[in-house]
Amino acid sequence: MKKAIVAVENLRIRFPTQDRRETVKAVDGVSFAVMPGETFGIIGESGSGKSTLGRAVVCLLKPTEGRVLHGGTDPYTLSSRALRLRRRAFQIIFQDPNAALNPRMNMLDSIREPLDIVGEGTRAERDRIAMEMLERVGLRPEFGGRYPHEISGGQKQRINIARVLTVRPSLIVCDEVVAALDVSIRADILNLFADLQREFGLTYLFITHDLGVVSHVSSRIAVMYLGKFMEMGPAEDIAERPLHPYTQALLSAEPIPLPSSMRETRRIILQGEIPSPTNPPSGCRFRTRCPHAQEICATLEPAWREAAPGRFVACHFAGEVTGHPLSETRIKEALA
Amino acid sequence: MSASVDEVLLDVRGLGISFLMGGGAVEATRDVSFAVRPGERVGIVGESGCGKTITGLSLLGLLPAATSRVVGEAMFEGENLVGMPLSRMRHVRGRKISMIFQEPMSALDPVFTVGQQIGETIRTHFKVDKKQARERSIEALANVGIPSPARVHDSYPHQLSGGMRQRAMIAIALACEPRLLVADEPTTALDVTIQAQIIDLLLELSGKNGTALLFITHDLGVIAETCTRMITMYAGQVVEDAPVDTALVRPLHPYTSGLLRSLPRLSARGAVLPSIAGRVPTLRDMPTGCRFAERCGHRQEACEAPQVIETLEEHRVRCWRHGELVLPGALTDREAAA
Repeated sequence: MKKAIVAVENLRIRFPTQDRRETVKAVDGVSFAVMPGETFGIIGESGSGKSTLGRAVVCLLKPTEGRVLHGGTDPYTLSSRALRLRRRAFQIIFQDPNAALNPRMNMLDSIREPLDIVGEGTRAERDRIAMEMLERVGLRPEFGGRYPHEISGGQKQRINIARVLTVRPSLIVCDEVVAALDVSIRADILNLFADLQREFGLTYLFITHDLGVVSHVSSRIAVMYLGKFMEMGPAEDIAERPLHPYTQALLSAEPIPLPSSMRETRRIILQGEIPSPTNPPSGCRFRTRCPHAQEICATLEPAWREAAPGRFVACHFAGEVTGHPLSETRIKEALA
Repeated sequence: MSASVDEVLLDVRGLGISFLMGGGAVEATRDVSFAVRPGERVGIVGESGCGKTITGLSLLGLLPAATSRVVGEAMFEGENLVGMPLSRMRHVRGRKISMIFQEPMSALDPVFTVGQQIGETIRTHFKVDKKQARERSIEALANVGIPSPARVHDSYPHQLSGGMRQRAMIAIALACEPRLLVADEPTTALDVTIQAQIIDLLLELSGKNGTALLFITHDLGVIAETCTRMITMYAGQVVEDAPVDTALVRPLHPYTSGLLRSLPRLSARGAVLPSIAGRVPTLRDMPTGCRFAERCGHRQEACEAPQVIETLEEHRVRCWRHGELVLPGALTDREAAA
């Protein structure tokens, strides 16, 4: 069996609120392993803790409890020099293509910057690698001399991808990387991610709120709600046979561009909003919005159990409640 | 909603918007024409920079007067909204036509309570005293499904969640039961479960009051679930206008088809997604011929001539090859065959 590239063990990350009187439980007990070469998707709404989790995986946030293991070792047990070397292998790209680019640096300098920091090779060698990556992400050499305000959002995101590639990472956390892009550009960038994965043997942790995107790119998906995983399994199973009522509601809420006659009219509309992570509901944290909630859901936190091989779920009634799978499945069934 | 099909609420003809920049004028949209019937729900779709937002703003005279120029006409209940004096426009805004935006925080005033902001709209347009205005404001908040309307009435915008703010903004927009609501990306900043609530609410309110919707968005799924007609804009022009189901199943313009095909759901998991190569031409060097030609897989020499929009019954398209091209829409091959 292959060894996990990243293993997250019972991870908890807490922050004090601004007035320091309460604690935000951003990630509240999450365990999973990412295997080399796979794309592991994490889907969740704002406030679910998915970005915090992504940052913890690349050591931008220290666990309050639990561990993040990089290839079996806990990076926080390493010396700072060894940690810095290891960091190269675990990179992150963010949603806002502007945020990572210095407006006063031209693109070639921005792409080369990570290599400068690592301090590898001569300046000429680093320039050569940066140019190579610029070309690899589909931009012409003249882009090297341009500044962020002179290029489009999609091109900036290509630059951000080129930047992390220079240090030859093994895993890249992609945090909402296509959310700010127009539909047609989005497709191009997703294609680029797929090409690079094949070429460099990359592993992705793909964090997004977009179901269409996550189920297209991922091999496995975890669904996150208020700091915890609700469900995890192969992408196809999650998208077409969701077990958890939250996953079912998410899938059913996704607007699908289909003519009205082909669309499922019965939608699950969740009531209310995501509760505060400072004080999550007792028992199952989804119960306040769950259409199937029973008494037991308020008193007993559902266990994280393997409902079928490779399929994990935290719900007392998972599998018993009727789901509303994606309409394409419904159509397939109707056609069969 | 029993309007006859001939009746038109908003008739936009030859609308063009230019901005004055660095001594010259830059044309942002040209010859934009479309109609909205009473109670109809029309979606305008297009990518950033195509002119959909400024078209919406121009209807309410919200473009900066000093740096923009609007030509053409937008007839609404017998009056032209283009060039309408501000004194008259004040009676239209909020009363006849309302607008809601993507980011409710930028539309709500942070130093006034939600109730004061609804009350202001109501008292501008109706002769009511403060007490009556308060009652109507609370009612308006209850109508948009806010659980404790009296409490929210006395809250400041920062005390509300994103979904509640969007509801509050809709309450303000609909407080005077306008005939047309211009909604510019109203659900883009919201989570998908909250988006579903807001879409449901807009559909319910539009049905109940007969308010027509002009829904501006880049999200084709939202258009499909909300609208009866879909207008595609590209580089400042309307390139297609059709009943939404027709546009989704059998688009006539290559750009509409390209947008629909790039959606991940139509491709097998992990397969290469079809995309539209190239970029939107910049405003300063807009081609004289078809503006999409440079990125179009069906381009021919004749595309270099200016393209006119042609009307075929309920469908309008700006592509001379529409009769010969058979373009795929938003269905998978299997769905299309069925």
